[in-house]
Amino acid sequence: MIGTSDLPTLALIDERQLADSSRFWRRVSRWKGWPATAKWLGFFAIAMIYVPLVWLAVMSISQSPLSGIPYPLTTANYAALAADSRWIPPLQVSLVMSTLVAIVCMVIATMVGRSITRMRRPGGVLLLTLLPLFVPGLTMGAALFIFLRTMLGLKMGYWSIFVAQLVWALPFALLLVLVIASRFDLRLLEAAEDLGATPWRRFWDIEMPILRPGVFGAGVFGFLLSFNELLRSLFLRGVETTMPIYNWAMAASQQSQVPIIFSLATIILVVTLPVMGVFFWFLFVKLDRS
Amino acid sequence: MLDRLTPSGVAVPAFLITWSLVVILPLLVIVLFSFLQVKSYRVVYLPTLGTWESVIDSGRWIVAVRTLRIAITMTLIELLLAFPFALWLAKGCKSKPAKAIIITLLTIPFFLDTSSRIIVWRSILGTNGIVNTVLTSLGIVDEPISWLLYSEFAVHFGMLGSYFPTMVFPIFMIMSLIDDDYLQASSDLGASPGQTLLYVILPMSLPGVVAGVVFTLVPLMAAFVEPQMLGGGFVNLLGNSVNSALQELKYPTAAALSTIVVVLLGVCLAALILITRKRFDMSTMFQAIRR
Repeated sequence: MIGTSDLPTLALIDERQLADSSRFWRRVSRWKGWPATAKWLGFFAIAMIYVPLVWLAVMSISQSPLSGIPYPLTTANYAALAADSRWIPPLQVSLVMSTLVAIVCMVIATMVGRSITRMRRPGGVLLLTLLPLFVPGLTMGAALFIFLRTMLGLKMGYWSIFVAQLVWALPFALLLVLVIASRFDLRLLEAAEDLGATPWRRFWDIEMPILRPGVFGAGVFGFLLSFNELLRSLFLRGVETTMPIYNWAMAASQQSQVPIIFSLATIILVVTLPVMGVFFWFLFVKLDRS
Repeated sequence: MLDRLTPSGVAVPAFLITWSLVVILPLLVIVLFSFLQVKSYRVVYLPTLGTWESVIDSGRWIVAVRTLRIAITMTLIELLLAFPFALWLAKGCKSKPAKAIIITLLTIPFFLDTSSRIIVWRSILGTNGIVNTVLTSLGIVDEPISWLLYSEFAVHFGMLGSYFPTMVFPIFMIMSLIDDDYLQASSDLGASPGQTLLYVILPMSLPGVVAGVVFTLVPLMAAFVEPQMLGGGFVNLLGNSVNSALQELKYPTAAALSTIVVVLLGVCLAALILITRKRFDMSTMFQAIRR
């Protein structure tokens, strides 16, 4: 466990020193309301996440989305969305891009993940791969832009968005594969080899079925993280536009476009929330069992 | 035996080299770049301190201080909200479905579009927003409260939900690994709940707290969408400065500001490690991941 030997034991606590204020603190610490307080503080924070989402849906069917009053209700925003076609290309770009990022994430995360579990000192490789988690997105985006565009003089485009999103999504994908791969018993492969299986069959028939939940999770995380990536793609997009960039540009600079954004975001939410809910539900229930 | 089972020796090193090229090299390049100049769209490879002087002269260091202040304040607020909640979720919440629902609710926000989530706050906090409409119609205030939107308050408020899950998850994970027997033993030995919290739970969950602080502080140091949309130009953070410097094609300035972000983060992380060094070493964080 975590530095168990360093833990101060209760015997080390000076009882006399505690005696002065102890009555007060004992009463405070025995207060029955602490668990409820903790619970409701957390629920408050969760409400801060979901209240805007509900409000987004409500305002998408109201006449003036940026005012505070949802009435009168109207479907005009959705009609405007249907009449406008400028949001379709960014959506298509995002879908294709995210699928690509997901596939590449699955392949690289599997490859690196299973080799990390066989290393004697995996720390360096792990730290190197997880480094983007410790760099703010905007900084990474600016750094990549200055390096690729200004230093190397390359032309920005879909490829640079892809690189930026991969840098963001891969560490998470790798973590998911690692969680599963670190439980994998290497003796299974030795047994398979003894029984005459070729390296490919050992990988595909023995290792892959066990790694599959991790690889699948890596793909889903890769897709979702890439689909919503804004801070890095923003700098590396050149003249291309993805869905989050489109939303950001509309929300940040063009007030008149906000109603369309509200209805578009609501549609995407209505489609993705139940899918994600069911997916994570099964993921956590399954993880809980294993 | 083990060697023959390792995957081909070419693929992984090749990946690591490519990865270093797109992750580490750019970060080194921006530090270098902040000492260079761009003249008529060309990089002049002649070291100069001009960018740094102009960054300091133009008062951008105030922006850096503000960013650091807001990032640390928000991290502390999230820690105060998340630590008790994680403890309740790991040890107090007995219903398994409720636990799974809460974890699902906390996971989903990672995958939601930021812009549309944040822009909605405008119609809640604005002078015509729902909060002010309700308050004025109930007669609690005479005229709309103007500091609700386009202020530091609004930026903090908008960040509250966005950065909560990253703080809860690591603390929750490490707390669910704490064996209930330890808590039982502590209380059997006569410790009050407060003492158990201070001398048993807190030291054992410290790696989770550190991980939570790191994963919350890192994105906060370059927060961009919230100040842009809820700050109304009054709350300029380093993220916004980097963005506007890039828009104005002032690449060395953007590089210098990004360097400041990385350096400030490095100082914060180093301080964090120093403070908690006695309790554990960083490697346990990775051991926890491997579980």
